[in-house]
Amino acid sequence: MSALSKLANVDSRVFYWILFIALMVPFLSPIGFPITIAENTRDLYEGITDDEVEEGDVWIMNFGYGVSAWPECHPSVTVCTKALFREGAKIIFMGPHYDVELTYNKIHDTVRDDFVDKVYGEDYVFLGYITGGESAIAQLASNIRSVYPVDHFGTPLDELSMMQGVNTHEDIAGVLSSDTGDYGVHFMTQWQAAYGSKLAEIGIAMNGSTDLPRWQAGNYFGLSIGSRGGAELEILIGELGEATTAMDSISVSHLLLIFAVILGNIGMVVQRRSS
Amino acid sequence: MSQILRREAVYAFTGIITILMILEYFFWPTPQIWADTIRTWAIIVFNISLGLGAIRLLMQQSMNVQKRRENWQYSAMLLSLFVVMLLTGFAGYFATGLQTSNGIYDWLFINIYTPLGATLYPITGFYIFSAAYRAFRARNVDAALMLIAGCFVMLKNAPVGEAIWIGFATIGNWFQFTGQIPGMRTFSIVGAFGLMAYGFRALLGKERGFYAGGE
Amino acid sequence: MAIIVEGRVITFLWMIITFAVMYYYMAIKKDKDYMIRTLPALSAIPEAVGRAAEMGRPVFWSPGMSGPLNDSAQGPQVLASISILEYVTEECAKAGVEITAIMPLPDAIPLVEETMRTAYLNQGKPEAFNPDQIIFIAEQSPYLSGVLGYFQRAKPASNILVGGFYYEAVVIGEAGNAIGAMQIGGTNNTHQMPFMVATCDYVLLAEELFAAGAAISQDPDMLGSIKGEDMVKILLMAIIGLGFLLGAAGITVIADLLGV
Repeated sequence: MSALSKLANVDSRVFYWILFIALMVPFLSPIGFPITIAENTRDLYEGITDDEVEEGDVWIMNFGYGVSAWPECHPSVTVCTKALFREGAKIIFMGPHYDVELTYNKIHDTVRDDFVDKVYGEDYVFLGYITGGESAIAQLASNIRSVYPVDHFGTPLDELSMMQGVNTHEDIAGVLSSDTGDYGVHFMTQWQAAYGSKLAEIGIAMNGSTDLPRWQAGNYFGLSIGSRGGAELEILIGELGEATTAMDSISVSHLLLIFAVILGNIGMVVQRRSS
Repeated sequence: MSQILRREAVYAFTGIITILMILEYFFWPTPQIWADTIRTWAIIVFNISLGLGAIRLLMQQSMNVQKRRENWQYSAMLLSLFVVMLLTGFAGYFATGLQTSNGIYDWLFINIYTPLGATLYPITGFYIFSAAYRAFRARNVDAALMLIAGCFVMLKNAPVGEAIWIGFATIGNWFQFTGQIPGMRTFSIVGAFGLMAYGFRALLGKERGFYAGGE
Repeated sequence: MAIIVEGRVITFLWMIITFAVMYYYMAIKKDKDYMIRTLPALSAIPEAVGRAAEMGRPVFWSPGMSGPLNDSAQGPQVLASISILEYVTEECAKAGVEITAIMPLPDAIPLVEETMRTAYLNQGKPEAFNPDQIIFIAEQSPYLSGVLGYFQRAKPASNILVGGFYYEAVVIGEAGNAIGAMQIGGTNNTHQMPFMVATCDYVLLAEELFAAGAAISQDPDMLGSIKGEDMVKILLMAIIGLGFLLGAAGITVIADLLGV
């Protein structure tokens, strides 16, 4: 078997090592390729800024992702939180992952400057972990207090000033669901489709092609896809961060993948010709 | 109650709840209290099942330890960590209302459990790499077209693609919005029909395979 | 005063039409049974079990991370997967092959246990069923680790990966390929379909997963519902086509009507 024909059957572990090493290079020596803004990301940003958000509006930020998806979802969530706070909106943080508290702590870290003049209970609340799947999201739309009688810290919702008079979907101006594929759909079926609630998705790259039809159909008023969406949002808000840094690594990995595919096809063609 | 009657009762109960929820969705613009009650019970039943899962896990792992089966040491480790997390979580909860207020619970969760979980998701990237290397072969015309389209979409998603040639973004967008998204939409629609049909069969008690073999 | 909530009228009508057409094809007197095309993935199950019997290795089944049974999109996938599990378990019982089920879904455990027990009973081998064949591992990452570890230790000859999969589809699929297992996959999660196709030898996509129960049982009523579903799809295609043509001419009556 010639060397070229062996290209069709390279051990995957070789590629894993090459990829592992190659991914580190851009972090050590950033390249900084320019990033164009996708229409779905721009729609998301425009939907949470300027005339679309009034001061005092209450928004839900769903942390539907665990620590493992922080690199993909958290940069977009950071930008959206900043944008909403700067418009004077109030935010309800909640999430269906057991590590939602870690994500809540991280948002305090990444949006530190904007949290400085915000008061817990008046400008934002953290309701904590939600369990029950789609039934819980459906129930949330009709009666928040039946799902969350108290916030994550044990304070009854009635004792939190921003939750006065906020109990159903009608009291919520919009929902930003950041998740790895399931809770965005729950909010879409139980909030957006049922009551016409304003909904946007901050998703992972793997779900991008599934979420784009929903954005096109108007179920989501905006959509951020993976790290790239986060980088685009960082450009829109004018504060570059983690996602922009990660873009170079994504470029390297994509180029490597195409290179590996070309090698594999060369090997396949040579094998066919020799046999 | 006989096995058959019990089974039929399950199907009848499922059907009644389904019809009630459908009626509530289409005939009442605002949520109704009786529907809220049903939804709340669905949440309660789900949470009970979490406990069921935990009990099953404990029973299985305990049996491994008791019978000294292969790798029983790992089962012993699981059981001991389960007890530690449970006790420390309860200690934190009863002390301050928050499990994470307990130092041991918090340390184990942040420094052991979370990094282990976070490690597995990035593995997906490596596996996608090897899957693409194996699958993206131009064995025939269809596969070659898919390969070319895939490369354009990848280069459109990566900033380097536009840096090399703006055409990658333009053509990649065309492939994505003209080919990929309509295809995904098609799968969503037919999948939804399949769901509806399955639900209808389950409603009528025809779909029984998941309940004790349907006999 | 509107009887049906505004904005949900067409949805209601469409649901009624769909159910009525399906019921019609289920209920009418049939001169001959409806035929549905062969699903290669289902036809491959006996082959997969036979392969496991020859190699002396087990069969592996998993419904993926899916979601709770009360999830409108994931729950039915779990149930459809359990229907396929029943068939696979019966084949395994016939061939004397061990089958292992690893799942992260606590609410489906009783269903899986009962299904497998009944399958062994149907084959006259109730004593061959061992509840330890069903391994529950909570949460996605631990479940994935558990499956990967099981693959390395037991090296199953055949993997049946049908259900609501998330990112674990590509990881389990690739790991299965690495150990040389024959893989039959299936999901309705569109974002995982490409990975299933890339990693599995046979795949059930979208509605094929839900039709599997009918295809296995060949029950006339169930096949009738699938025929009804196909008729509704034809109607939908006609409406889409008409809407497209009218829309191209600047007439948006179909689009406006669908929003009622």
